[in-house]
Amino acid sequence: MKKTLSILLILSIAVLACSCDGSFGGASLQEAIEIPADGIIEARILSQIRNENAIAVFMGTSEEISYEWTIFGSDIQEVKDVNLSVDIRERKGQEVIVQLSQEEAFGFSALLSVYLADKWEYQGATGYEADKPVLSVSLTGSKNSILNMSLDGTVSTIAIRGDELPQASSVVETESGREETPPSDIENDPYLSAAQEGDEHLYTNGKDKYLTDPVPEGKPKPVEPEHQEVNAQTSLSCTFSIECATILNQLDQLDSDKLDLVPSDGVIFPETTVTFYEGESVFDVLQRVCRENKIHMEASWTPIYNSAYVEGISNLYEFDCGSLSGWMYRVNGWYPNYGCSRYQLRDGDVVQWRYTCDLGKDIDGGYAIGG
Amino acid sequence: MKDRFTHYHPLVNFFYFSLVIGFTMVLNHPLSQGISLLCASIYGIQAEGKKAVLFCLKWCLPMVLLTAFINPAFNHEGLTILLYLPTGNPLTLESILYGISSGAMIATVMLWFLNFQRVITSDKFIYLFGRIIPSLSLVLSMTLRFIPKFRQQMELVVEARRSIGRDISEGSLLQRVGSAITVLSIMITWSLENAIDTADSMKSRGYGLKGRSAFSIYRFEDRDEIALAFLGFCGLFLSVGIVASAFGFRYFPDIRYMELNAVTLFFQFVYLILCALPIVLNAVEEKKWNYIHSKM
Repeated sequence: MKKTLSILLILSIAVLACSCDGSFGGASLQEAIEIPADGIIEARILSQIRNENAIAVFMGTSEEISYEWTIFGSDIQEVKDVNLSVDIRERKGQEVIVQLSQEEAFGFSALLSVYLADKWEYQGATGYEADKPVLSVSLTGSKNSILNMSLDGTVSTIAIRGDELPQASSVVETESGREETPPSDIENDPYLSAAQEGDEHLYTNGKDKYLTDPVPEGKPKPVEPEHQEVNAQTSLSCTFSIECATILNQLDQLDSDKLDLVPSDGVIFPETTVTFYEGESVFDVLQRVCRENKIHMEASWTPIYNSAYVEGISNLYEFDCGSLSGWMYRVNGWYPNYGCSRYQLRDGDVVQWRYTCDLGKDIDGGYAIGG
Repeated sequence: MKDRFTHYHPLVNFFYFSLVIGFTMVLNHPLSQGISLLCASIYGIQAEGKKAVLFCLKWCLPMVLLTAFINPAFNHEGLTILLYLPTGNPLTLESILYGISSGAMIATVMLWFLNFQRVITSDKFIYLFGRIIPSLSLVLSMTLRFIPKFRQQMELVVEARRSIGRDISEGSLLQRVGSAITVLSIMITWSLENAIDTADSMKSRGYGLKGRSAFSIYRFEDRDEIALAFLGFCGLFLSVGIVASAFGFRYFPDIRYMELNAVTLFFQFVYLILCALPIVLNAVEEKKWNYIHSKM
């Protein structure tokens, strides 16, 4: 009697437990799927991805180069058979030609990540169709470069070339000026750092009092927030963007609660020209941009570095994608080795906020972390 | 009203409280939190009346309000931005609700411990753990007993000193401080001596020795067996529910939860039965007693 009763109980528990599926209806990550030889992904699979609001990764290789498609179920508008096989050729590290087998639109946009065999020493890249720039490509990857681009199938042949350094006009002027004028001029320029540091910076063990290693020659010196003088009369402009393509390369590492937050092309705030007042820091501009565009951002003031520390943007926080992840900023192609409240912006600067999953190594910024 | 649940075997009492307190700390579904909070306070009021109500108002309510304010001051995660704080960080709806939820959880656990210390008296505790972990259980029961005893002794000392004209509220500030320090020093001496006395006394009685038997008035009856089996079943059932995320509820980055259907509601119902067990037992016993009484 007792035995049958307990067996019945356990059975009923099991039945009840099975009828509960453990999801909240948010996006979920599916296990990676190998792309078949003919490259055709059936409409059935796509509609399943759409219905489950899943994120699916399709893997394939073209000769030596492997690639991945990341498709968000929420992006799929039209369901039909698509051919996801891609022909990729690399021309001596100069150019990558991506040739899609699909000749018409996918009915959705998907992220294509191309895993190159070597490391590209570029700041970013652009995709060209018949020498016309059609899309921007995000470069990530620690040891070898990964090219991430959002495609919808309308462009089938893309040539990807690395961008030259994004250069701010004012920095170009001063730097070119430096070559012609004696170095004493740079020392007089309060903005740029020179080989010998001025007396106002107390260096101990090569570091200043906020534990910052010497700033490389020719790069802007930190301006302490307490010495910041904002001139509201002069409006200047800079290019600002926020992206997190590195997360899309390793969605399996991401906190599963946050899958919904990752934009399918990795761009949280696209490259935009924003105006700021003379004397403002990168952090001031980040704060304003996020507020104006209703992007969530949390930062905390860190006295030992005399700067704000950006913990999370758009609810994507540090440590959300592995224990080495967090936000970094790059201005004119250089990741400063000091906090964003101490970086005073100049007219025409190009500011990028990028998410790293590997202490900056996957976004070419490993040096900024220091040692 | 008399608390009938205390007359059950200490093992049942202890098992009940460890289950309920454990689940209260694990489950963050607002419905389960509400169930636990309600049951804890009703049980407290049923057994202690006004004292429990006072405890709720004095400790639990401020706790909820405090965390509801403190959490959003430090935690800015969440999709729903309400406004911006002076620090520049956003104030989010999720962080406020999470603050309320965690405050309610702490308050509920406090209420359960209020019931715990009434039901599990130190003799029950020693009875349960005296054999397995003799020194630890003695230390625990001495510590639990220490605070009320310390307060009583302090009142005595203060009274005695008042009668010789050395009240802590008399004299200049310096004198008052000196007086308070004297009381503190007396209390420390007393408590150290008292602890040694107790330990010596227990040792001289052979506490913790092998083969020493201890008197107890607890008998494991049929009703205890039934109660234990029931608690075991509830514990297993709810654990399965947690694994199957039937109580699933998340606050960050946005609020998402398992929709309430027959299955998830059934799990909540089992949790309700578990939490309300002593209340139901008390009510049934009361009815029985009244019934017998009316027949006499």
